[in-house]
Amino acid sequence: MSQRSEPLPRIRVRPLTRANLSIQLTLLGLTLLTLYSFTTFDTRGIGLVEALQDMLNNFRLLLLEPRLRSVSFADLLEALFVTVGLGLLTTVFGAIIAFFLALFAAQNLAPIWLNNLIKGGTAFIRAVPTVLWVLFFAVAAGMGSVAAVIGMTFHSAGYLIKAYAESFEEIDAGVLEALRASGASWWQTVFQAVVPTSASALLSWTFVRFEINFSTAIAMGATAGAGGIGFDMFMASAFYLDLRELGAFTYAILVFAMALEWFATHMKARLGKSRE
Amino acid sequence: MALLQIEALTKSYGNEARALDQISFSIQAGEFVAIIGPSGAGKSTLLRCINRLVDLTSGDVRFAGVSVPTLRGGALRRQRTQIGMIFQHYNLVNRLSVLENVLHGRLGYKNMVQGVLGLYSETEKREAVRILESLGLGEQIYKRCDQLSGGQKQRVGIARALVQQPKMLLCDEPIASLDPNSAKIIMDTLQQINQKLDITVLVNLHQVDVALAYAQRIIGVNRGRVIFDGPPAELQQEQIQQIYGSESGELIFSLRERYAI
Repeated sequence: MSQRSEPLPRIRVRPLTRANLSIQLTLLGLTLLTLYSFTTFDTRGIGLVEALQDMLNNFRLLLLEPRLRSVSFADLLEALFVTVGLGLLTTVFGAIIAFFLALFAAQNLAPIWLNNLIKGGTAFIRAVPTVLWVLFFAVAAGMGSVAAVIGMTFHSAGYLIKAYAESFEEIDAGVLEALRASGASWWQTVFQAVVPTSASALLSWTFVRFEINFSTAIAMGATAGAGGIGFDMFMASAFYLDLRELGAFTYAILVFAMALEWFATHMKARLGKSRE
Repeated sequence: MALLQIEALTKSYGNEARALDQISFSIQAGEFVAIIGPSGAGKSTLLRCINRLVDLTSGDVRFAGVSVPTLRGGALRRQRTQIGMIFQHYNLVNRLSVLENVLHGRLGYKNMVQGVLGLYSETEKREAVRILESLGLGEQIYKRCDQLSGGQKQRVGIARALVQQPKMLLCDEPIASLDPNSAKIIMDTLQQINQKLDITVLVNLHQVDVALAYAQRIIGVNRGRVIFDGPPAELQQEQIQQIYGSESGELIFSLRERYAI
């Protein structure tokens, strides 16, 4: 019973490894930085209460009192149509280019050196944000809708090639083997086995990209002068300083985004039904 | 002349041991031959060397007088149309209908555009329906393949091979994923195809008893070599032990079954 007198050593649930230590040190550093930044804010003499009141007032104007002034409702619809058009066009262009390149990027359909070439290239395209591609093409095409279409198509294709190629790679290798064994050529195998098997996955990815492109198209209207509702919002906020009109645009976009979501869900449900 | 002639066929993957080592045998038109052997003996690779889904390292395969190893492009596709293949996992396009899957057997006869768009002639469609009806799938032609049972899927696989109008069927473990009932239906079907349509059948099997019951000739393979080649009556316990090594305890039981029949 002499052992009882010795205190038992504490059991650590998480051993103090290098990884744990570095995580804890990082968290500590971030906390100190945050505290430091709070003490050095340049508030320009505006009180916290006053600022909060102003902010809530702005939200009230934006969300509770929306109305149009510089443009008519018809103008708003037309601007929305332009933005949707930009999103849809770049998605369709991107999807067509991506479909063919993704076939050569899939490991089960093309030689490995070609896979790596295309995958490497698209990784580079995706690493650069869409806005930068638009500005890059604006050098040649000038600021406006042309640069926006080319730049957004570029990035959409890069994104969809990766998504499509991964869908293709999930196809059962046996099915491809069976068609080859019956004497089918490569293109026949693609359209008779690869496309029917991966159709719903391709549709899903394309819808996701359309949602992304719709919101990018709004931003492009303002930053790249591509027109549409983004440009009207830019004018309402930066030129007319009209929060009520900005609110009306925001609601218009919200309604369309919800309609799009409903449509996408509905389409997927219908595809699922025919699959049963 | 033999329909299929294999001479000193060798296949190796990289620097590893040979998957197939100096395999030679020939098969006459109209034979029903079973290849037996343990998993990993090279049975699947052997079948795939015949229609060149796998490239051989050395040796020669002659099918209907044509040397297979050097074929390329269109000539290889035409050669493949003469050899139907059936798989353990059926390998159907699940999202397509039974009829569409069967018509895939005609792709080897199509040019690129016809095949891509799925344009088949009335004669081809009628033939596909006739084959499906003869296999008892007349009711199912517009069903999607993922709605079928395993036995039905395998019959679709057989229909897809038959619509090619092949001289020979290669069957890679056709009953390994099926229940005993469906397995019997599939083996009976293959036997009928062999006897009535006079199509040569070469089938890989796990089950020695099935091979003994159906095949006119058995080829035993172990570690990429042919250990036994002869009629079922000549297959004795020692040879089975040679083919399967030490795990042949249960197989002796299946031999007794044969004599019980």
